[in-house]
Parts: sequence; structure tokens; C-alpha cells
Amino acid sequence: MTAPTTTAEAAGPRSTVTVQRVTFARVLRGEWIKFRTLRSTVWTVAITAVVMVGLALMMAAIMQVAADTPEMSEGMSQDPGLQAIGLTGTTIVTFGYSFGALAVGVLASLIVTSEYSTGTVRSTFAAVPRRLPVLWAKLVVIVLTTAVVVAVALAIAYVATAPMLDTAGLSVDLSDGEQVRALAGCVLYLATVAAFALAVGTLMRHSAGAIFTIVALFFVVPLIFSIVVQATDAAWTDWVNKLLPSVAGERIISRGAETDALLDPWVGYAVLVGYTVVLLVAAAITLRRRDA
Amino acid sequence: MIEAHGLTKRYGSKLAVDDVTFTVQPGMVTGFLGPNGAGKSTTMRMIMGLDRPTAGSVTVNGQPYARHTKPLAEVGALLEAKAVHPGRTAHHHLLALAATHGIAPARVDEVIELTGLAAVARKRVGGFSLGMGQRLGIAVALLGDPRTLILDEPVNGLDPEGVLWVRNLARYVAGEGRTVFLSSHLMSEVALTADHVIVIGRGRILADMPVQQLVDGASRRLVRVRSPQAADLADALRREGGDVAPGDDGALEVTGVDAARVGELAAAGGVVLHELTPVASTLEEAYLELTADAVEYQTEGPADALTGTGHHDAPEGSAR
Repeated sequence: MTAPTTTAEAAGPRSTVTVQRVTFARVLRGEWIKFRTLRSTVWTVAITAVVMVGLALMMAAIMQVAADTPEMSEGMSQDPGLQAIGLTGTTIVTFGYSFGALAVGVLASLIVTSEYSTGTVRSTFAAVPRRLPVLWAKLVVIVLTTAVVVAVALAIAYVATAPMLDTAGLSVDLSDGEQVRALAGCVLYLATVAAFALAVGTLMRHSAGAIFTIVALFFVVPLIFSIVVQATDAAWTDWVNKLLPSVAGERIISRGAETDALLDPWVGYAVLVGYTVVLLVAAAITLRRRDA
Repeated sequence: MIEAHGLTKRYGSKLAVDDVTFTVQPGMVTGFLGPNGAGKSTTMRMIMGLDRPTAGSVTVNGQPYARHTKPLAEVGALLEAKAVHPGRTAHHHLLALAATHGIAPARVDEVIELTGLAAVARKRVGGFSLGMGQRLGIAVALLGDPRTLILDEPVNGLDPEGVLWVRNLARYVAGEGRTVFLSSHLMSEVALTADHVIVIGRGRILADMPVQQLVDGASRRLVRVRSPQAADLADALRREGGDVAPGDDGALEVTGVDAARVGELAAAGGVVLHELTPVASTLEEAYLELTADAVEYQTEGPADALTGTGHHDAPEGSAR
């Protein structure tokens, strides 16, 4: 400190490393690198696509066999349950959406919670101390990846099942607005589930807790309510049931409502989007406030 | 330059950092010394904006850390080893962080080379030793060529060669006019690396001074002397202005009079000496003295343990 300092030295050390401002696009690139550089992530995404295609093929094969077997096809045409579903080609092609929701929900929660469990989040927030861009970048990464992967899986399933569905008389009719809505709805639904799960993961920060919450909300509670609704006449159970995130959101993949027990497709989907937006806002607020 | 004003952090009922004010100057290495649980890591996390202060404020290079547009160029921090997903490679971890600041991949290779990680950079971090994890943490800290370097216990888990490397790195970086703030619970480490030291205990600043001053000021120049005429000698020493205390096994512990003068006084008074030993108190002793009342996890005797005050909450490190 006693050495004479020139003005250049007083201004601090000169850096030869080019460092640019943190922008959303750069944070997004960082998050994308993180996403694609974990084997578990890549495998989960790949398996989701494979299983969704596989389930569609399996169902199409069953339909083809059923169509070839007079007793079975007659039985199916008179089965009230099947009639209520309104079985179409899209039902077969999107058959794996439930599995997809599980995979995508777990993956999206882990993207956040694994950062907390491994301590990566502290490196992340040291680089992006404003924090919110990280949440939005993760949102973009998981929603877009989900949408693309699901769209590709559905396209493959559509092409692969077409011959069998034609035989079964269940061809997907892309001139039918409702069927197109169901196909696009499958992409929208799973992308929204991903956003929902990302928000839950951000709020809970613990992998087990977040995954439990997603599984309970999307799979266990609806199962319980499907029984409760049958068992009681109480109107509130009907309402709770149709407003459950999965029951409401799934409407976009199904045929239009024919009963009061379920919401219209777009209304149902809007309910799910509403939950998701509320959770994301809550996640953003807590992310900024809490210690990392 | 790091400036903290009245920085306070409370976890529930526990005050981890208590109204701390200090400045870390550029161009030198500042040690941040304190026993485990003293509040070092919490303070460093508040500097980085990871923990929100309960009260007070802290700025880095004139601004709160989060306000900087290029945070990694302002501060590089090693806050804990292996703050990395075990399934990701060191290279990819660095690449992802570099991307947020538009830092070229060439710089990633550079810091990998610099920290001696070239051989393992493309392996997954899960298999890294503590020392390799520490090197990766330092690589992350260096990525943006920052004006301020914050290293929390950087030599933990490093082999002797690694320890030396960190020491030289800290000194070199400070020599370039940058700010280096390095924590340790080992006085010897700080004495070897730092120019200035801030000592913290139970969340409070106990000392903030040049390392040399801490060493000089806190260490007592003690002379141990043994004599069959101890009482006569003690009188003579007291007349000389010395402080005499009975030590172990009949020896006298003298402060305020140096060994040569003790010998002269003994000769003048015809006192027989059996031992005359100058004892310079070590750095470690100086530090222990300073933090004696501020040790969070004191080793308690059995009696104390029963009536103990029980320090069960541990906000530092592992508990989160």
C-alpha cells in the first residue's frame, strides 16, 4: 500500500477475460446447458417419448384385435363405459398422456429441487443473484422441451398406429376440430403440468416432498374422488372433483362435456392454467425472499 | 472492496451474525478467522446475497452484490466445496455458469487448466474427492476473472501441494490489486496467507487489524525461570516492573522483563538459576485467548455438560 500507484493501477486490475452482462437469453442458455448435461434428464425425456408411443401402439393393437373379433367388437360397442369415453383415434394416440404427466411432473420438480439438494443453487444464484431470471429460464426450458417431445411422440404415435386404427375403423380424423384440439391439448396439458410441477418444486425445495405432492394431486386424489363422487350425492364432491388440477386439465384431451360432472375442455384447461399461474407467482415471491 | 455495516443475521432465536461492521480492502489478503459456528459462512453468504440480512447492509465494490450487471466479474466465491450436481461433469458445470455471462468456453478450459482439473474435468463430479471438489469451487470462483475473491475455508480437504497453491493464488491475486477475503478456523493458515485479519466469534467482530499486530499484541513475551531462591528473585523482578506469577512445578512465569534482564538481575542479586527460558506465545495461543469466550462448540467437562448451555442449533454448513 506504500508503493506509489498510477491511475491505471488505482482503477483496479485489468482483465483480459471478456465478461458480458447477464441477460435473460444468457441465463436461458445456462439453464439449457444444465438441463441437457444430466444423463438422468435426457433419459427421462427419451423414456417418456418411447413409453407414450409404446402405449399408443399397444392400444391400437388391442383395438385392431378387437375389431377382428366379432364378439369383442360387439361387446365394446355396447359397453356404456367405452361409449361414455367416446373412443376415437385420438384417444388411442394420446393414451400415454397420464404416464407422460407423471414423468414430466417428476422431471420438472427435480430441475429445481435437485439444485437445492446438491447445493448447485448457490452457484446458480451467485451467477444470477437476481434469481427470478433463473426461474423463468427453467420454466421456458421445461415447458418447451415437454411440448416438443410430446408433439414428436404424438406424431410418431399417429403415424405408427394409423394402419391398425384404419383396420379398427378408428382412424384419427385431422379434419375434425375436436380431434385436433385433443391432440394439441395433449401437448398443452403436459407442458402445463411441467410448469405446475416446476412451481411446486420451487415452493417446496425438497425432491421427495415435491414429487409426493405432484403424485398425490394428479394421481391419488383424483382416484379417491372418482370413487367418492360415485358414492355420494353431495354436490360439493362433484365440484371439488371437476376442479382438481388433473381432472380439469385433462378435459382438453377428451371429448366435450356431455354431463354436468365435468367442465368443458377449454374451461377445464383454463382452470389448470389458473392454478399454475398462481403457483408460479407464489414460487417467484418465495424464491426472491428466502435464503438460498 | 467489501463493506459491511451493522450486518446482522438471526436464525430463529439464534443470532448467527451480530451487528458486524467491517471493510475488506483491495490489494491485500484479508483473513476471516473464527471458530466453527462463529458466523463466517453466514457473513459470506450475506455478502453474496444468498442469505438476506436481518438488519444492516453489505456492498461489494460499492453496490449490493445483486445489483451488479456482471456479478461474476465482481465477485468469485467458493462458498462450499461440491456445490455441484454429482451427475454433471466439472466442464459442463462451468460451461453453464459461463453461459450466463457470455464467457467464452475457452475461459472455461483456462480455469480448468489453472486449477489442475484437466484430467478429470469431463468426468462426473460425483466421483470427485473433497480436494478436487475444492479445486472445482475455486475454478468457479475464478471464472469471471473477478475483482473480489471470496474463499470460505479454501484449503479444506486439499493436500499440502494444494494448500500451497491456494496460498500462492490468494497472494498473487491480491498482488494484482484485487480484494481477497478468505476464511479459516486455523490461525496458522491465516498467518501464512493474510496481511490483515478480521476475527469473529459468536457473530461479533473480536479483532480487525494487520496480522502482525494481532501476533505482536496478543502474544505475551513470557520468561520461565526456576530458582531455589524464587522469593528473592520475584522481589527483584517486581522492583524492575515485571509481572511474576507462580507457574507449574515451582517455576516462575515472568512477563514484562526479557530473559537477558532476568539473568542480569539474578547475577546482580547472587541468585542461582536452574532454568531460564524465553517462551514466545504462539499464534495459536494468541488466537485461542482472543476467542476463548466465543467458541461455539466448547468441549465441556462432565460437570459442565450436565448444567451445559447446550448449543444444539447449527446453522453453519451441514445442517441445511
